[in-house]
Amino acid sequence: MNVLIRTMLLGLLVLGSFLVITMAQGKQKTGLSLSEKVRNLHDMNMKKALLRFNGQKFREYVKSAPRNYSMVVMLTALAPSRQCQICRHAHDEFTIVANSYRYSPTYSNKLFFAMVDFDEGSDVFQALRINTAPVFLHFPAKGKPKGPDTMDIHRVGFAAEAIAKFVHERTDVQIRIFRPPNYSGTVAMLTLVALVGGFLYIRRNNLEFLYNKQIWGAVALFFCFAMISGQMWNHIRGPPLVHKNKNGGVAYIHGSSQGQLVVETYIVMFLNAMIVLGMVLLTESGSQSDQKRARILAIVGLLLVVVFFSFLLSVFRSKAQGYPYSFLFK
Amino acid sequence: MNQSSSGIWRKSAGYSSLITFSILLIAWLAGFSSRLFAVIRFESIIHEFDPWFNYRSTAFMVQHGFYKFLNWFDERAWYPLGRIVGGTVYPGLMITSGTIHYILHSLNIPIHIRDICVFLAPVFSGLTSISTYLLTSELWSRGAGLFAASFIAIVPGYISRSVAGSYDNEGIAIFALQFTYFLWVRSIKTGSMFWSAATALSYFYMVSAWGGYVFIINLIPLHVFVLLIMGRYSQRLLTSYSTFYILGLLFSMQIPFVGFQPIRTSEHMAALGIFVLLLFIAILRHLQSVLSRSDFRKFYLFGGMFAALIVFLGVVFLTIFGVIAPWSGRFYSLWDTGYAKIHIPIIASVSEHQPTTWFSFFFDLHILVCTFPVGIWYCIKSVNDERIFVVLYAISAVYFAGVMVRLMLTLTPVVCILAGIAFSTLLEVFLKEDYSSRIVGKGGNIANTEIAEDNHVDKKNLYDKAGKIKFRPKHDAQLETHCGIGSNLKSVIILAILMILMMFAVHCTWVTSNAYSSPSIVLAFHNNQDGSRNILDDFREAYYWLSQNTPDSARIMSWWDYGYQIAGMANRTTLVDNNTWNNSHIALVGKAMSSTEEKSYEIMSSLDVDYVLIIFGGVIGYSGDDINKFLWMVRIAEGEHPKDIKESDYFTDRGEFRIDSEGAPTLLNCLMYKLSYYRFGELKLDYRGPAGYDRTRNAIIGNKDFELSYLEEAYTTEHWLVRIYRVKKPSEFNRPSLKLGERTLSPTNYIPRKNSKRRKGYIKGRPTVIKGKRNNSQ
Repeated sequence: MNVLIRTMLLGLLVLGSFLVITMAQGKQKTGLSLSEKVRNLHDMNMKKALLRFNGQKFREYVKSAPRNYSMVVMLTALAPSRQCQICRHAHDEFTIVANSYRYSPTYSNKLFFAMVDFDEGSDVFQALRINTAPVFLHFPAKGKPKGPDTMDIHRVGFAAEAIAKFVHERTDVQIRIFRPPNYSGTVAMLTLVALVGGFLYIRRNNLEFLYNKQIWGAVALFFCFAMISGQMWNHIRGPPLVHKNKNGGVAYIHGSSQGQLVVETYIVMFLNAMIVLGMVLLTESGSQSDQKRARILAIVGLLLVVVFFSFLLSVFRSKAQGYPYSFLFK
Repeated sequence: MNQSSSGIWRKSAGYSSLITFSILLIAWLAGFSSRLFAVIRFESIIHEFDPWFNYRSTAFMVQHGFYKFLNWFDERAWYPLGRIVGGTVYPGLMITSGTIHYILHSLNIPIHIRDICVFLAPVFSGLTSISTYLLTSELWSRGAGLFAASFIAIVPGYISRSVAGSYDNEGIAIFALQFTYFLWVRSIKTGSMFWSAATALSYFYMVSAWGGYVFIINLIPLHVFVLLIMGRYSQRLLTSYSTFYILGLLFSMQIPFVGFQPIRTSEHMAALGIFVLLLFIAILRHLQSVLSRSDFRKFYLFGGMFAALIVFLGVVFLTIFGVIAPWSGRFYSLWDTGYAKIHIPIIASVSEHQPTTWFSFFFDLHILVCTFPVGIWYCIKSVNDERIFVVLYAISAVYFAGVMVRLMLTLTPVVCILAGIAFSTLLEVFLKEDYSSRIVGKGGNIANTEIAEDNHVDKKNLYDKAGKIKFRPKHDAQLETHCGIGSNLKSVIILAILMILMMFAVHCTWVTSNAYSSPSIVLAFHNNQDGSRNILDDFREAYYWLSQNTPDSARIMSWWDYGYQIAGMANRTTLVDNNTWNNSHIALVGKAMSSTEEKSYEIMSSLDVDYVLIIFGGVIGYSGDDINKFLWMVRIAEGEHPKDIKESDYFTDRGEFRIDSEGAPTLLNCLMYKLSYYRFGELKLDYRGPAGYDRTRNAIIGNKDFELSYLEEAYTTEHWLVRIYRVKKPSEFNRPSLKLGERTLSPTNYIPRKNSKRRKGYIKGRPTVIKGKRNNSQ
């Protein structure tokens, strides 16, 4: 979650933010009445599930006092120039939540979803002293937002389910998430099946390649290498590609035995494959009729096995504290 | 290490079987003795958690007999629900050790059941290596079999579950697994009903021993299916599979815990589907032989596919209509790897259900994990029916091992087999020429093995169709060229391979000794100053205290990890234990631990809790204590009681889990925190250090001075590792607590007049009554 951008505006504008707050408080006296506000919001919600506010509207509907409804507001920066990749995902998820709520039976005038873009309402960011995006805030019907009214996206993430849970915690409104069905997986699967089927159909008179043991062997070996180098762990845990250590260097190997980096697993995969290749070459050298060829195969195989095995052992050793054994080099 | 054997090489069958026998014997002894680290360092004691339950039920069975055991309702577990032990346990382990106990006692060898339980797994490791030998020699050659047997005897991946004292299902189940596979391969090869019936019997033993039998009942059908797809249908296949399936189905349903699952759950449907498919193909074949079609092959292939589709759809529909139970969560989480984390926190909370890093693979298997793909390569290269089996076994097991650390156990045997094949073919190449040129190489020990089994290679050729062709040209070529590679180079290669194998043996011993030989009931730590070894026996101290100082019916609340140990060692009633069958009950305990004292008192009194036991490692720096597990308690409790418990309350605003003064107030006031750190703030561990310094989490605790109002400290062990609290009865705290000054009346101006005269009490200002006179002062 370290992709949040920092807008670096805070230092200068602390002073200005106070001014804005006082101005906002001055204005709210002349604001709309409660029933008007609710009606306006409701009308706006008829058109769009997720309301889009600028600074002025935000003050009018969210900040100003007479309210009997909760607001869940996402502060974000969607403009491409802001280069906030994560905001886009967050916006999608938030829209899903808002839509699910809008068309659910629990929909009422008690809760509205809104968003403020930095480029349309930078004063809101200043007023709330927020210099990161995206931020999810809950404005309760009564009183000011407290600590837990900010969603902790570092910990729970911003998946639609997490947002719905947050909303449920803060407002007691249960939202069942309806994702627009995602057909991409099915389509990919069907394409794959169709490709394989079509390929087989085209080659139907020449299916000998299916009986090629080398191919099957290679596929099986590749699967084994992927598994024993911990790709499944990568898939489930999603570790970073490489680590940056304190001196600015790049670490390819995770220091402890509990974790691993993506590059590290590729290295291990390569080492394992080389050892296997060496073993196979060694074994094959016995069945060569050409003496010179056999000798070369044997030497190459031996070198591969010994060197790469010692290399693997030294990588292992660097991860296991206090492991005493090494081979060829440390 | 294990391949060493004495004897002069001579080309005779007698010597070869002597060598085989002695190598297997040595493998058994080596495997047995390397599993004894824990017994020698500590004592003959049952380890960890689950073994304690197995031991307890074995002891019950030995004492009360088998039928009593099957009907045993254990009211001391899962209070107030209880647990029907006979119906919720795989009884194979208990029956095995009970039988051994019975036999030894009928021979008048008075051995305690505990010793049988402690040494059962090491003894069975020898049987495992023998059955691995049998399986590998069926698959490849006897030389490879000896390699595989020696590998599996000492490989850490298997030792981790079978050290002395680790009295668990896996210890005997791996033997049953390998033996079943051996019999299956045998029956596929011979097509004899005898062998497939034996397979079913061995499968029966496996079902009675371990839930991992599902692996067998899915792998064997997969094998059959792949054979069918490859067009390797044969009469042998039909005989062996149908015999095995029918008998195995009937046998497996005899285990009370399994019951009707084999016909009602999705895990077993593959076997049924393949059975139907196989019969369908058999009928088709028969029809074709009658009708004598010319292009029967194509027809048969499409017909087979069609039948498979129908069976599959049938199973799907039955599942939809609820006749067949869908996959259980544990099983499902193997396929959808993110499933458990979202839906079943209790599965995700167990560390052995985590995915496996490459480090663990290498740690547990060392050189074998790098070389077993070579075995796969050669098995595919010279493929036949049974080698397809071992390839499928390897590929499925390596997938499962990647998903869950725990399933490394099922991968280990096949890795040993394939690495045995790899090393055997390799050394065969370099040692065989020694034989032809009459030079005894440096690897003399292995030379004996390898050369001894050369004779048998020829015999084996009878079985193999495609397998052994590659040996022929090689043999001829060698005779022609006389010396293909050169004896120096060969010696170097043999030496290098032997070095690597020796490193494997050393690695195995090191790992066994350092990582897998801790009983985890008794902890040992090394003093840095003088290097002496100290033993922490706090767990048993606490459990012994419980058994001696609490009433027999006392109910003890603890986190579920310690349930079996409390029941086994202290013999007291527990609320939850390691058989995590009831999630809501566990969540209730988690809620009690993570609420404030008052709220948890309500829960505790509704559950009739008398004592609370917690594990606290802050004094000695033991990291597996309850505070470190605490977030899982919160998560599990939140899953059932989302209104009352929220995980986010236990984090600071910055999302950290801290126990010092900046920690979340909810955390600092919950029951678990208070029980862990009660009076810890007064304790100075070091002369220089501050009071209340937690060594595990390296912080000074945040909530120091507090009193407990609903509980009182009952016992704390020597190193504070286990703390036991007594839950007060309502009468003990419901009375208004008055200080001494408020309880005693201070003397006022009243002066008692008790002196030598014995006077009755008198009333102040009492009107004097004079007889006969009316008091009419008004």
